[in-house]
Amino acid sequence: MTGERTFQKFRRLISKKAFLLWLDSLKKDYKLIGPVKEGKHAVFKQADSSEELFLEYKTTMLSPGKLFLYKPKEELFRFKAGNKLDIEEVSPAVERQAIIGVHPCDVNAILYLDRTFLGEFKDPHYEARRKNTVIISLNCAQVSENCFCSSVGTGPFLHAVSGYDMLLTDFEDEYLVEIKSRKAEELFGLKGQGAGQDALKFKAEKEKSLKSKFKKAVNVLGLDNIFAENAEHPVWERTAEEKCLSCANCVMVCPTCFCYDVKDEMSLDLKTVTRYRCFDACQDMRFAEVHGGNFRQRRVARLRQFVTHKLNQTNQYGVLGTVGCGRCITWCPTGIDLTELSEELRSKK
Amino acid sequence: MNPLKPFKAKIEDIKLEAEGVKTYTLSTGFQFTAEPGQFNMVGYPGVGEAPISLSGIMQNGCFKHTIKSVGRVTEFLDHFMAGDEVFFRGPYGKGWPIKKAEKKDLLIVAGGVGLAPLRPVVQLISGRRELFGEVSLICGARNENNMPFMDELKEWAEKISVYLTVDEAVQREKWQHHIGLVIDLFDRIKIRPERTISFICGPEIMMRFVCRGLMMRGLSQASLYVSLERRMKCGMAQCGHCQHSGFFVCQDGPVFSYKEVRGLPDGML
Repeated sequence: MTGERTFQKFRRLISKKAFLLWLDSLKKDYKLIGPVKEGKHAVFKQADSSEELFLEYKTTMLSPGKLFLYKPKEELFRFKAGNKLDIEEVSPAVERQAIIGVHPCDVNAILYLDRTFLGEFKDPHYEARRKNTVIISLNCAQVSENCFCSSVGTGPFLHAVSGYDMLLTDFEDEYLVEIKSRKAEELFGLKGQGAGQDALKFKAEKEKSLKSKFKKAVNVLGLDNIFAENAEHPVWERTAEEKCLSCANCVMVCPTCFCYDVKDEMSLDLKTVTRYRCFDACQDMRFAEVHGGNFRQRRVARLRQFVTHKLNQTNQYGVLGTVGCGRCITWCPTGIDLTELSEELRSKK
Repeated sequence: MNPLKPFKAKIEDIKLEAEGVKTYTLSTGFQFTAEPGQFNMVGYPGVGEAPISLSGIMQNGCFKHTIKSVGRVTEFLDHFMAGDEVFFRGPYGKGWPIKKAEKKDLLIVAGGVGLAPLRPVVQLISGRRELFGEVSLICGARNENNMPFMDELKEWAEKISVYLTVDEAVQREKWQHHIGLVIDLFDRIKIRPERTISFICGPEIMMRFVCRGLMMRGLSQASLYVSLERRMKCGMAQCGHCQHSGFFVCQDGPVFSYKEVRGLPDGML
């Protein structure tokens, strides 16, 4: 988190076994959350012990940031009807949690969500969880077929300076453990072996070799102009008409999609109204509807909104909206691929 | 405190403004201030909230909303009476750049209830008339029954030039003003493009033609300001509903320079 006092940034080589034992020692103060194998897939969920963790996972359907920091559904307050109508605020949960094995794309996605929820108006639920969460990132050791993080600067190794606590790199029997926050410095007591230039060199070589394995990429050069000049490119209409179902899978699995709806639910005795917020998607027909019109009535407009929000519209936060995790490609039922789409935009109409 | 938490406001007065349009005067327990052009999220538990621009910002901390009943929230509010309580939070967004209009000519163009967020501008200017050059107001509405603030227009006309037009008059013999588009009335105003700034609010398609008409008369894109309407759930650049090509209309607007929003996809400007 920002505004932290200075701390000792150190690097150590720790045997995997010792590291996992240390994770288990965290359990007395923290809920352990990490990738756990479920069938063929890995899912971020609470683990009872480090033995349950499947840290060699490739990718997950849902990102840890949108499961454990920005929740799919959040109760905000309750309106109680008595002699008069009162508002009861729902206090943010302050349970401490450690999320382990967060890949660089997903850490960058959390940093992106910070811009939305810790901006001028702070979301108290997100803020409380963020403060009470230790994020232990794990540099990737393999590339999935839809990953394109290396082309958008968010992976496969993490280079963000702050906003998370620890960074692990898999060195076969050991982890290179890098301390990135004061909280981590205080928590991490394992001495291990100090990691010097050799370890950093080894890490750099690993990153380089991994970067050569990517099958997908987005060419970000001049992308803002490409999008601005091609809002009416036929590829939009074609993709919308032939492929897109407006199912919003892309939005739901996207680790940076932050949109929400606010809903009221009335109790059966009509005495309590619960106001909550829940994920919403720009692919929904009514998302941009106002009285007298709908700014994105057509499917093509909604598809374009999602894609441009990820690859263009950098005026919003000064960064790309995509972290290159490739989830929207993996989970699109009709195979829409935004790396292909952006490439087609560069081609002649 | 959760910034989404609304406050209670008591309805001090309800005035029937035009067909289906009411002006609600609201008071709270605290001092409410806002800039002309900003908006509140107004609503009621169980019904939801809607962004509604401020049509009056009063010295005593009261404020006004002029609301046309067209949707779930606004139709619900239509049943309220003086003395009832509603919920609101705000103010949000960027208002009209009134400072930029000082020492200049100001042309205000409004369509229907689009006049509501411009009413505080007119009031503010009327109170400090000497700071501004020529000030003209063009109001258009479907017909005379849809023209809000009819009773106040006479008073405003003492301070600024007021021009009215309707698409069609219900009582044609009684209507003494123009019939036709708002842009028809540009010919009646001596527009000095180099020293004119324009504030425009109405249906987006109307704003498009007003902006283009004024550019044909020599005004620059940067001297035209438009107030946009979008769906909003939060008002604080989080819920994403109002996103318009990277802008959050709630935070970066609702008032934009035409230069910023002209020709953007999914808009009509």
